[in-house]
Order: sequence, then structure tokens, then C-alpha cells
Amino acid sequence: MTRKARKTAIYSAGSLLLVAFAGFSLASFRDALTPYVSYDEALGAGGRTVQVAGGLVAGSSDYDDETGILSFTLAEPEGSGTIRVDYEGLKPANFEEAISIVAIGHWSAGDAAFRADKLLVKCPSKYQGAEVKEYG
Amino acid sequence: MDALSQLYLPGAVPVWAALVFSLTALWGWSLVLRGDESARPFARRAYLFFTLSVLLVAAVLLLALWRRDFRIEYVFQYSGLDLPFHYQLAAFWAGQKGSFLIWLVWGALIGLGVIRTAGKRAEPAVMSLYTLTLIGLLFILVRENPFVMLAETPADGQGLNPLLQDDWMVIHPPIMFVGYALGAVPFAFAMAALWRRDYKDWAARAFPWALAGFLVLGCAILMGGYWAYKTLGWGGYWGWDPVENASLIPWIFGTVLIHGLYLERTKGRFRRANYVLATLVYLAVLYGTFLTRSGVLADFSVHSFVDLGISGWLVALMAVFFVLPVVLMATRLREVPTVRNEDPLLSRGAFLVVSTTTLVASALVITAGTSAPLLTRFLENPGQVGPSFYNRVNLPIALLVALLLAVVPFLTWRGEALGAVLRKLIWPAVAAAAVAGLAFALEVRDPLHLLLLALASLALLTNLQKTFRRAAAQGIGAAGGWLAHVGVGIMLIGFLVSSAYDASTKVTLEQGRPVQVGDLTLTFTRAIPRQGQEKERMEVEVVRDGGSTYFAYPKLFMNDRTRQVMANPHVRTFPLQDLYISPIEFDPGRPPGAPERVQLAAGETFEAGGATVRFDGFEVRSDEGSMAAMAALQRGGSITVAAKLEVDRGGATATVEPLYTFAAGGQVSAPPAALPGGGSVLVSGINANDGKVQLDLVGLPSQATGEPARLAIDVTEKPLIQLVWYGLYVVLFGGALSTWKRLRQSRRLDDEAAAA
Repeated sequence: MTRKARKTAIYSAGSLLLVAFAGFSLASFRDALTPYVSYDEALGAGGRTVQVAGGLVAGSSDYDDETGILSFTLAEPEGSGTIRVDYEGLKPANFEEAISIVAIGHWSAGDAAFRADKLLVKCPSKYQGAEVKEYG
Repeated sequence: MDALSQLYLPGAVPVWAALVFSLTALWGWSLVLRGDESARPFARRAYLFFTLSVLLVAAVLLLALWRRDFRIEYVFQYSGLDLPFHYQLAAFWAGQKGSFLIWLVWGALIGLGVIRTAGKRAEPAVMSLYTLTLIGLLFILVRENPFVMLAETPADGQGLNPLLQDDWMVIHPPIMFVGYALGAVPFAFAMAALWRRDYKDWAARAFPWALAGFLVLGCAILMGGYWAYKTLGWGGYWGWDPVENASLIPWIFGTVLIHGLYLERTKGRFRRANYVLATLVYLAVLYGTFLTRSGVLADFSVHSFVDLGISGWLVALMAVFFVLPVVLMATRLREVPTVRNEDPLLSRGAFLVVSTTTLVASALVITAGTSAPLLTRFLENPGQVGPSFYNRVNLPIALLVALLLAVVPFLTWRGEALGAVLRKLIWPAVAAAAVAGLAFALEVRDPLHLLLLALASLALLTNLQKTFRRAAAQGIGAAGGWLAHVGVGIMLIGFLVSSAYDASTKVTLEQGRPVQVGDLTLTFTRAIPRQGQEKERMEVEVVRDGGSTYFAYPKLFMNDRTRQVMANPHVRTFPLQDLYISPIEFDPGRPPGAPERVQLAAGETFEAGGATVRFDGFEVRSDEGSMAAMAALQRGGSITVAAKLEVDRGGATATVEPLYTFAAGGQVSAPPAALPGGGSVLVSGINANDGKVQLDLVGLPSQATGEPARLAIDVTEKPLIQLVWYGLYVVLFGGALSTWKRLRQSRRLDDEAAAA
């Protein structure tokens, strides 16, 4: 192989690898994408991983010692729907105080509940405090 | 802009003064650029006054926090009377405005160092561009002045978010912003070089700054991970959250930049690419700031960010610092002298090209993942990607990086023959294969995981060998880069093993009763009440089979101000693993004979002592109806409510209606009502908001024994997680050695210039 041909081969192989990696990333991206859906859509998503958001219904959370599952009810921000969520993980520290909770998981028809793999708790964060109360 | 009367002027005036001085400095340097050498001291002095103004702003804010001056909205929002001093300091950067201020403070101070190191000829151009980046930040503070005052002075502030009342919060964010501020320096050097068409010296002068940025940002990431792991109880050190990614992406680009600068300094390669890389570092800082501060990801991040109204400004800032380099590069990059790539495949040059490309790909993919909510914004259901995405796409990257790192110590610039390299690799490869074999024996079966373990071990060994050789020949100061590679090998092993092979169990412990979990015997011994500053803790005795016994103290406590329950894990480090015990829930139980307390919503039932109690709702007891009863209460009378209970005991059903009388003065009377078959029930509380009743049941047979306190915990074994920290320490130590070396080289340039 001449030097030039060799170089072309190396560059083509490199480009091919990059294209392959880009394709792989894109496929992974599509697989991992969890769309934001309404509660009705979550019920119809057929086991696909999605995310739902809502406010915690006061007093609805319960931790089951036996199963280690935290169950609670979320209320849809717009509309009046509610959804039961089961979460088998550590309860986020600021769970009860959350302005809104995002649950990522899938609807499980057998349990009649949304099985969350992950919870995102929206709370006054490290960079932004709660809304200012009006004084005066 | 806020009306003047609403601003606390001792703080607000220096903000404007800083703007005036920074613009003056800019004007001064533009004069120097046009050849007026006498303007140089003037520009420098203006910059100094700008820095002093910024420091004054910070001092006034600090003083206001210290004095707890709640007139100032920012102080009111983030501090409170009960906050100890070091958390008042944390309150400084707890909010958006304060965190931009601390960023600006570091940026201004770093600028003083840039003036000294830019070189006399480049100084006006470098400092013009650098000051421009600071003015971008300063504008945010001018628009969103931190010294807005409230109409009335509240008695107390809102306090700091209890999650942030942590010693790491005092130290982690300011260091992060030093790293962010340093990101602008190589950018300013690179753009000034293009602008002045002086392509020669900038790489040497920017190199120590780029290394310092890499070092500081790395420290900040390490601290953030440690904070999340040790106290926040997130269960891990890294969650691929947008806020975390916003610091990781500039760090990866920074890693690429220091390798690019190394190539340019040693071989004159990457001369064009380095302009792009320096720009990418700074744009990644700005883009990360935009993602995490503008509120665009508010529904997708653990941290929530409310838009302060600055997102438009952040977009404008990004646009400016995108267009500026693009224009400069489009017009000048072709002139930059470059060397044609003639590197053979097995040479350091070729490997550096491949590894930097790999890292850029990684950074871009992480950027795309973090931006998922933006990228999918126009789809029907926008979404985000979880950690699985990042882990998956970064596995091939990690494999390739490990392979490149493993081979590179045996390469030279002129290239090596494959056979020669392989011969040198034999012994390290045998050792690496032994590591993989050991892992296989310990139940690691995934072939990619085995491969990564082998390659990472190989990289560790070959670079360690190289570090020793280099240190023996030229001193440890010359081996920083190789040492950093050793650290990467260690970290890769730690990442893989601790995340893919952790074992987690949830268990509920009754006080005093040992429970076997794997090879651990856990006993919840007692709950320790708060003692002074020490928070409430749980004590769990942990006995390892055939090993040591220790006490774990996971914390589960209530914040006084917000009433939110906080949990802190307990982490015990053993040579080969961490034992991570997180509290989930604590039930204090009930001493023998004490009433059993239960809360029920309408329709819910409760079982105790053979009785099933169903709550059917409340009924207002008034002859004139509930409206009249409410009216009576408002006139100063009282209202009586009955809790309708259906009690089923041994097949016999009865209706029991304990009464709850509430008088306008706040007096409550709740006489007990007898239960069929013995015992009684009374209403001990009513929650009108969610229609729940709280009942106390007394005299049931089940109460004679009481109920033990119970603690639910999560026990996770995290094997080799220590390697993540040790590896990063090694990387950072290696980086520090290199920074020192390059700083000395950059100083030499000044000496040469002075001699010439």
C-alpha cells in the first residue's frame, strides 16, 4: 500500500467509526428518551418508560415496611386527574415539601399503579429560593 | 431596572461603579491597541478599580448577611435568625444573584493575574476580550440587582433551604465558580491571538491557565460528588443531572484543550484546533449556565430553577461569544501556520488526535443528552434521557480511552513498530488479564465489563511504570501527565465496579431484634434524640460475619423551620467496599398501655385488637344545621362534630360516634366513646384540609404489649467506590504538577521578552 492510500484508509476508517458512534448515540438517545405525558397517556403507553408530573396529594403517601414500596398519589397540574405511584427506592429528603414531583417509570396495569424508577422532586433549590411572600 | 428608592444604595452603587470602571478599562485598552502606550497604566488602574468595586459589592452583601439585614430581599430570602455564621456565608451563593456575584468576584481577581501573564504586547487585546466576558456577567447583576429592598423590614428571613445547610455548601459552589471563571482565560488568549494575528505565544501563556481551570473544576466536581454521596444521600456520587453535567462538559473540553495545548507546545500541531477547543470550553460554561439558570429544564432536573428573567440575556451572551469566535476563525484560521499530519499510526501524535476526538465526542453526546428537553421541545411529548443513556454511550468511549492510555506510554513521536510495542506490553498485559480473571472469579460475567477492567488495569500499570521512569530521569515535576493517566485508570475501575456491582437491600428493623442481611447482622438499637448541634440520629449495630462490629448512625431529622424530614446516610469505608446505610422511615412505636393513634380518611379502615374500625366521615351536630353551627362558632360559641365510625368486632357491627367540640376560644373537648366489647375511642384531632380524622384507641387487648419502634433502612454495598476518589486525587495531583511546570515555562517567556 502506498503511503497515500494507507492514509486514506485510516481516515475512512476513522470517519466510519465516528459515524457508527453517532448512529449508536442516536439510537441510545431514542431508547432512553422518556417523554413527558399526561396521566391518560401514561396509562395507554403500554409499559413504555415515560414521565408524569404533579402535586403530591396531601396525606396520600405511605411506606410499606414489608415490600419497601413508597406509594403516593399525584394530582395532575392541569385538570383533575390523579395517579397512584409506587416507588421502590429511597424517599427523597424533601418529598413532602415538594412543589411538584416528577415520576419516571411506567404504568403497571397489574398493580393499577405507576411504577416509578426515579423521582425528581422540585423544591427550593440550591440556586433558587421559594417565591417571595408578599409583605406590607 | 428597579426604582432607585427600592435599592440599598451602599451595595447598588458599587455595582454601577463596577460597570463604569470596566467600560473605562475597555476604552483604555482600546487606546493602547491604537498605539497610545501612555493609556496602559490608565487602563490597568481602571481595571483595578473595577475589581475593587466588585469586591466592595461582595463585602456589602456579606456584611448585610452578617447583620441579618432583612430589608434586603436577597438576605431575607436566603438567611434567617437561626442560621449560624458559616451558613450565612453559604447564603451568599445560595441564590441566582449571589452566585453570579461570586463568579464575577473570582473573574475580576483572576483578571489581575491575566494582566501580569498576558505579555506586554498581547495585554490590551487579551484584557479587552476578558473584560468583555466579565461585563456580560456584570450586566446580569445590573439588571437583577442583589440589593433590592423590601417595602417593610421583616422580623426574620425565610432561612436557607435545609438541604443546603451543609459544610460542603460553604466550600463547593465558590470553588466551582473559580473553575467557571478560569474557563474564560484561554478563550480570551485565543481570541486575542486571532484578532492580533499573533499566533505564536498564546498557547504557552494560556497553558497554565487552562491547566488551572482543569484542576479547579475537577476539584469542584470531586467535592460535588462527595457531597452528594456522603450527606445528601442520593445513593451515589453522580446522577447525570443537568447541574452536574453543566460542570462536567466544560471539564471534558478543558481536558481536551490541555492535550491540544501540549501538542502545540511540543510539536506545533493542533495550532488551529486549539482556537476551537478554547472556544468550546468557554461556550460550554455559558451553555451550562443557560441550561441550569434559565428555567428551561425546570421540569427535568432535581434542582429546580426559576427564571429570573435573565434567560434572554444569557441567550444574547451565548450568541455574542459564539459569533465573535466564529467570525475571527472564519477570517483568520487559514492564516495560522500548521504542520501537515504525517504521524504514523503508532505514534503519540496519532494517539493524541484519536483520544481528543474521542473525548470531544463524549462531551458532545453528554451535551446532547442534557439538552434533550430542548431538542425534543417541538415533538408532541418533549422528554429527557436518563442515566442509562449516558452510561451506555460512554462505555465504548471508556473502552477506547483505556486502550489508548494503556498503549501511549510505549509510543514516541516518530512512531513505533507494532511488534516492539506488543513486546513491551506483554508483562503488563499478563497482569491485566489476571485482574480480569479475578473479576471473572468474583462473578463479573459481562464481557464488556471484563474488557474494561482489563484495559483500565493495563492503563494503570503501563502509566505507573512510565511515571516512575520519568520521575527517576527528570524528577516528579515532569511526570504530571503520566501520573494523571494512572488516576484515570484507577477511576475507570472504580466507576465500573461501584456502579454495576453494588448490592442494595431494603429492610425494616424492629428495635432490639437482629436481622440478617447477607453477611451482615443488623440491629436497630435506639433512636438518639437531638443533643445541641448534633441532629437526631438512629443507632444501628452492624456485625459482619467473622469480622468487625460497628455502630452506624444514619440521621433522620426534622428541620425546625420547614418541618421537612431530612435523611443523611451513614457511610463506613472498608478496604474493598463502602457500606452505605440510608434511613428511609422511622416509626417510634408505642409503649405498652399507651393509646394507639391512627389517622383515617373517609372510607379507610383500621384494624386493632380484633376490631375493624371504618371511618365514614364527619357529621356536624347542631339542631339548626351546619351553617348555623358555623355562624355560632364565629359569634364566639362552639361547634360539635361527630366522627362516624363503623366498628366490627367478632362479627358484631356497631356504630360509634365520638364527639369533638371546638370552641371559638380554641378549647377542645373530646370525650371518649365506648367501643363494643371493651375499650374506648376518642377524636384526638381533625384535619379539615384533607378530611382526615385522628383517633386514639384506648384499652384494646393489643395495647398491653405496645409496639416496638421500627426503622426502615436501605443497606447498599458499594465495592471499590474508594477508587473513584483515589483516582481523581491522583488525576488532580498529576494536573497540579503539570500546572506548576507550565507556569514556569510561561514565566520564562517573560524573561526572554525582557532580555530581548
